[in-house]
Amino acid sequence: MSFEPIWGAIIAWYLFLAGLGGGAFITSAFLGWRHPEAVSMRKVGHLIAPIAVIVGLVLLMFDAEGGLHNPLRFALLLTNFGSVMTWGVVFLGGFTVVALVVVVLDFLKKSVPVWLDIVGVVFAVCVGAYTGALLGVCKTFPLWNNALLPILFLVSAVSAGAASVLLVAVIRHADEFNRVGVLKKFHFCLPIIELVLVAALMFITSSNSVAGWNSVMSLLVGSYAPLFWIGLVLIGLVLPTALETWLLFFSPKEFEESRKAHWISFGSDAGVLVGGFLLRFLVVMAALPVTITVPML
Amino acid sequence: MSENAITRRSFLAGSAGAVALTAAAGYMGFDAWEQAHADDASGGGETKTVHTLCNACSSKCGYTAYVVNGRLTKLIGDTDHPYSKGKLCARGYGYSQIAYSEDRLTDPLKKNGQGKFEAISWDQAYSEIAEKVRAIIDADGPQALAMVQDPRPSGKYYTKRFMNALGSANVYTHGAACNLSKESGMTQAIGTGSYSSDVANSKMTMFIGRSYADAIRPSSVVALQKAHEKGAHIVLVDPRCNNSRVFADEWVPINPGTDLALVLAMSNVLVTHGRYDKEFVAANTVGFDEWAKELAEYPPEWAEGVTGIPADTIARLAMEFAEAAPAASIEPSWRGAFGCSYENSGETARAICLFNTLLGCWNQKGGALFTPSVSAGKLSDERFADPKKPEGKQVGAAEYPLALSSMGTNLAAAQAAEDGTVKGMFFYNSNMAAGYSNTAKLAELLGKLDLMVVVDVQMSETAMLADYVLPDTSYLERLELPEFIGGKVPAVALRDQVIDVVHPNTRPVDRIFSELAEACGVGEYFRFGVDELADAQLQTVGLSLDALKQTGTAHFPEKEFAYGTAPKFKTPTEKVQFTSEACEKAGLSAAPVWVEPAVMPMGDELRLIGGKQAIHSHTQTANIEDLMQITKDYDLTRVWINADVARRLGIEDGDEVEVSNTQHTGRVRAKVTQRMNPTALYMPSHYGCSSPDQHTAYEVGLRQMDFVPFHLEPAYGGACTQEAVVTVKKVGA
Amino acid sequence: MARYGMLINTKKCIGCYACRVACQRQNDLLPTQDFIRYEEHETGTYPNVAIETVPLQCMHCEDAPCAAVCPTGAAYIGADGIVGVDEGRCIGCKYCMAACPYQVRVHNEKTGTVDKCRFCTVSAETSGTKMCSCVEACLTGARIFGDLDDPASDISKEIAATNAQPIAGDLTKSKVFYVR
Repeated sequence: MSFEPIWGAIIAWYLFLAGLGGGAFITSAFLGWRHPEAVSMRKVGHLIAPIAVIVGLVLLMFDAEGGLHNPLRFALLLTNFGSVMTWGVVFLGGFTVVALVVVVLDFLKKSVPVWLDIVGVVFAVCVGAYTGALLGVCKTFPLWNNALLPILFLVSAVSAGAASVLLVAVIRHADEFNRVGVLKKFHFCLPIIELVLVAALMFITSSNSVAGWNSVMSLLVGSYAPLFWIGLVLIGLVLPTALETWLLFFSPKEFEESRKAHWISFGSDAGVLVGGFLLRFLVVMAALPVTITVPML
Repeated sequence: MSENAITRRSFLAGSAGAVALTAAAGYMGFDAWEQAHADDASGGGETKTVHTLCNACSSKCGYTAYVVNGRLTKLIGDTDHPYSKGKLCARGYGYSQIAYSEDRLTDPLKKNGQGKFEAISWDQAYSEIAEKVRAIIDADGPQALAMVQDPRPSGKYYTKRFMNALGSANVYTHGAACNLSKESGMTQAIGTGSYSSDVANSKMTMFIGRSYADAIRPSSVVALQKAHEKGAHIVLVDPRCNNSRVFADEWVPINPGTDLALVLAMSNVLVTHGRYDKEFVAANTVGFDEWAKELAEYPPEWAEGVTGIPADTIARLAMEFAEAAPAASIEPSWRGAFGCSYENSGETARAICLFNTLLGCWNQKGGALFTPSVSAGKLSDERFADPKKPEGKQVGAAEYPLALSSMGTNLAAAQAAEDGTVKGMFFYNSNMAAGYSNTAKLAELLGKLDLMVVVDVQMSETAMLADYVLPDTSYLERLELPEFIGGKVPAVALRDQVIDVVHPNTRPVDRIFSELAEACGVGEYFRFGVDELADAQLQTVGLSLDALKQTGTAHFPEKEFAYGTAPKFKTPTEKVQFTSEACEKAGLSAAPVWVEPAVMPMGDELRLIGGKQAIHSHTQTANIEDLMQITKDYDLTRVWINADVARRLGIEDGDEVEVSNTQHTGRVRAKVTQRMNPTALYMPSHYGCSSPDQHTAYEVGLRQMDFVPFHLEPAYGGACTQEAVVTVKKVGA
Repeated sequence: MARYGMLINTKKCIGCYACRVACQRQNDLLPTQDFIRYEEHETGTYPNVAIETVPLQCMHCEDAPCAAVCPTGAAYIGADGIVGVDEGRCIGCKYCMAACPYQVRVHNEKTGTVDKCRFCTVSAETSGTKMCSCVEACLTGARIFGDLDDPASDISKEIAATNAQPIAGDLTKSKVFYVR
C-alpha cells in the first residue's frame, strides 16, 4: 500500500502564512528598534501580521472538515493542553489579538507601547516555532520528528516575514526601503542559516532510519527533486543570497538605491517567499512514515 | 454506499431525547452509546434474520443475514453450512452490496437503431423477444437457439427448462471457461467430473494451480490449515507462489502449461520403482500396461527440461507420495491450471486421476474421496413434469465429443453464430463477452446473432452487446430453489429472500423465464411458483420449505460417507480407465501422453497466466466498491513479473509497463517479485472492465481475455485461456 | 475492569482481506474506511520464497499518541483501555493521523472526521455482535480478542504460549500482540 500524505498544500499554506505573519510582526519590532524612522514599513509589517495569520487560520478551518461542518466543535480546541495544536491555538489566538490591537493603534495614529511589542514578538516567536513543533512531535515521520524543524521553521518564518515587508516597501515606500540597511543585513543572513539548517536536516534525517532516508531521497533525487532543487534551494535560498550579497557588498552605493536595484531586491524577496512556502510544502509532502513491520521470516 | 444506510448518525437521531441532547452539544461518549443502545432495545428498529446463500462465487456459502428496518446490516456465516462453516470470505461480505449498487439495471432495455439502450415495458420486452424466438424456430428450428448461464440454484433450473420447452438442447454453462476440460478429462478416467481430496486428514496433498487461499471456500481453507498444523506435506505446483504458501511446505514453480509432464514423470517414477498400489490397480482398472508402456517415455530427466523442475525434485515428490499413500492425493483443482487453460488440460486432468489411482487413495482416509450427494426425487405434481427431451444434440457436441453435455462448450455455440447455425442466444448470470475468451472475437461472433437477450443485475460487457437486457433482482431479493450439496455428510441449503425488492421494476429469474416462456407459447411448463417447486423438491427428501427456511441448511446423516468403501467408477468399463476408447475416438491417445501447449514463449516472450485474487470472482465483483477499493489501495491490478526477468528488461517494481501481443496492447504497473516463474507473466483476471455503466470497475486495469486468442482445446472444447504469449516492456524505455 | 487486547498470528494469515471487509460491512463503514490495513513481505529468492501478511489496526495503545495530540479530546482512552473516538468532538484536523505510528486512523470523506478500529464497541452496541467482526470473520482463527488482565482468558494463555509481542516493541504500549 503506497503512502498518501496526510496533509497537503492547504496545511503547507497555513504553516507558511502563520510563520510569515509572526515574522512580519518581528520585522516591525526590529524596525522600531533599529530603524525608528521607517514608520510606514513598520505599519506594513503590522498590517501583514494579522492578515496572514487570519488567512492561514481560515485555511486551517477549511481543511478541518469535521469542524467546518460543525463549527461549534472548534470551541473544543482548548481541551487538551498536552497537544501542541492546542498550544498553537493559544499562540495564534494571543498573537492575532495583539497584532489586531497594534493595527488599531496604528490606525488611530497612537504609538505602540514597547511592552506590547515585546508581548507580540514573544507570541510571534512561539507561532513560528509552533509550526515546526506541530510536525516535530510526530514520531511517525523522521523528517519531522527532530529538534531542527522548529528552528528551521522559525528562521524561515522571520525570513519570509521580513521579505514580505521589504517587498511591499520596494513598491510603496522606496525611500524608507533605502534606509533600512541593518534590517537588510539581518534579513540577508537568514537564507544562509536556513541553507545550513536544511542541509543538516537532510543529513540527520537520512541517517536515522530507512523512512528518513527515503524521505530525503524523494526530495534530493525523487519525485520532489525539481521543486526542492530549483524551487527551494535555487530560487528560495541561493538566489536571494547571491543577489543580496552583490547588492549589499559589491554593487556601488548609488546603484543600490536605483530603481533597477529595487527590482532586483523585489526578485530576491519574492524568491524568499516562494522558498518559504516550498519549504513547508516539501516537508509536509515528502515525509514518509517509519516502517512498523519489518519482515520476520 | 447509499444514503439510506443506517449510519451511526441516523441511529443516534432515532434515539432518546437525552442522548440527542448530548449529541447536539457535540459530544458523544462511550457511555452515551451504551445508553443509546439500551433505549434502542426498548422499542427501536425491527430486526429480522434470514438464511441465504452467498452469490459471490460458485460455492454459494450459507449465511444468516441480519436485516434492520428492511436493510441488510450484518452477515454471519452459517456454522451448519458445509462450505461456509460459520465464515464468509471478503467477496461474500462485499458482494452483498450488489443489492444497493447504484449501477443496478432497473428496467428492461432494448437497443434502438442508434445502438443505444432505451427502457421498455416488460410486456413489450417479452412480446418482442417471443416474436423473434418464434421467427428463429420457424426458420431454423429450436436448435438455432442457445442459452449460456453460470449455474445458480434457480437459474440452472429455469434456464434449462425454458430452452428444453422451446425444444432446444443448447443449454451451456460457463464451463468452457472454467472447469470443463478438467471435469471432462476426469470423467474419462474415473467416470465422474470430480472427487474431493481429504486434505485435512492427508499425509501429503499436491495442489496444481489451485489456491485455497486465493479462490476461497472457507471450509477448504480450514481443511488446508488443519493439514498443515497436523504436519501434512503440502505441495503447491504453480507458476506463481500463491497465498496458500502460508500453509504449504513447498512451492514448485512449474513452467505454465507443463503440469501434464510433471504428472506423467511422477507416474513414471512410481511405475518404474514398482511403488504403486498393485492390488488396487489389478482389481479396479483397465489399460494399465498400455499406459505403463507410454510412461517409459517420461522419466523425470525428460520432465525437467519441460517443466523447469529439477528431476531430483520430481523423483523425490513421487517417492514422498508413495510413502504417504494412501493418505495422499493430487487435489482435483477447479479452474486453476487445467480447468480450461491449455491444449493439454483435459489430458492433465485424466493423468491426475490415474496418478491418484496408482496411489490407491480412492475413498481412503486422507486420500481422494467420492462423497455422496442427495437430490430431489421425482415430483408427482404434473405441473413439474419435464418438457419433452429435445431431439437435437448440443451444438458443439460433435466437434468436441469429450465435453460433458451437462456443461457443453459455450464457445462452440458462439462460434456457430458465424454461419448462422445459432441465431438467438440467451445469457443468464454470465459475462461471456468479457471473461470466456478473446473479447474482440466474441463481440464479433455475438454481433452476428439475430437475437441476443441478457438477464443480469448490472450492465456487463455481455449485456452491452445484447438486443434486450432484462433486469434481474439481486440474489438477496428472491427465494431460490434448494441447493443440494454433496459432501461427507450431504446437505441441502436454501437461498431465502432477505430484503424486499429494491428496484420495483426488476424481476427474479424464476419469474422472468416463466413469463418469457408464456410469451413464447410454452407457458404450460411454468404454471407454478418457485416456492411451490422448492417445497415439492424438499418434500421428496423428507423436508419442507418452511422447515428449511428456519435452519438454512439441513443434513442427511444417514447418507454419511464412510472411509474404505469400494468406489463405483461410472465409466463404460466400470473401472478406472488408464485407456479410454472415447479419447481415442476423439483423436487423442488412448492412454494419456504428453501434449504440447498450443504456444510456447520464445525469446523475450512470457506466457500470460491469470488467476484469482481473494477479493474478486472473475469480472463479477469488480464493480463492488468495498472490493474495488482494496484493489486500488494495494495496486492489485499490477502484473507480476519475475525479479530476474524484470532486471533484464529494465523494469522496476511499480513501473508502468506495456503488455502486448498479436491480440492486444495495454499498459499497467508491474509487481516485480520473487514469487513468479521466469517464463510467465501473471495478470489478475478481474479487471479491465469496459462497461462505462459500471462506474467503479470501468477501465481499472487490464483484461486478460483481451490478450487470449480465440482457440478451443481439441476434443474437450475448453477455452485455452492461458495459451497466450506476450512481451513486456517498460513504458518510455 | 477489563483491559482488552488482541492477538494476531501472522503465521495463520493468508492475506484474504476478509477481516477488512467484514469490519466495514458490520460497522457500516465507507469503502475507503479501512480500519485494518496490511503490510506484505516476501523474503528469500526464487524459488525459495516465503510470504507474510501483517494486518495492522488500532493498537489501543496505553501511550496513545493520537490521544496525546488530539486538541479537542475527540481521541481518548476510554473504558477498558479501548481507545475511542468521539465523533462529535472531532474537527478533522488529522493531527492524530500524523501522530499514529501505525497509520491506522482513517479519514471519513463524508463527515470529514477521523475514525479507526474500536474493538467493535459500536457494532457490539448497535447490532448485538458479541465479538469483534474481524475475529469473527477470520477464516483461520488468526485473531483472538480478550481481557489481557485475566490470566485465564484465551488471549492471555496464547500470548504466554507463543510469546506474542506488540508489533513495534514498547513504542506505545500497544495492546495488540503479534505472533510472527
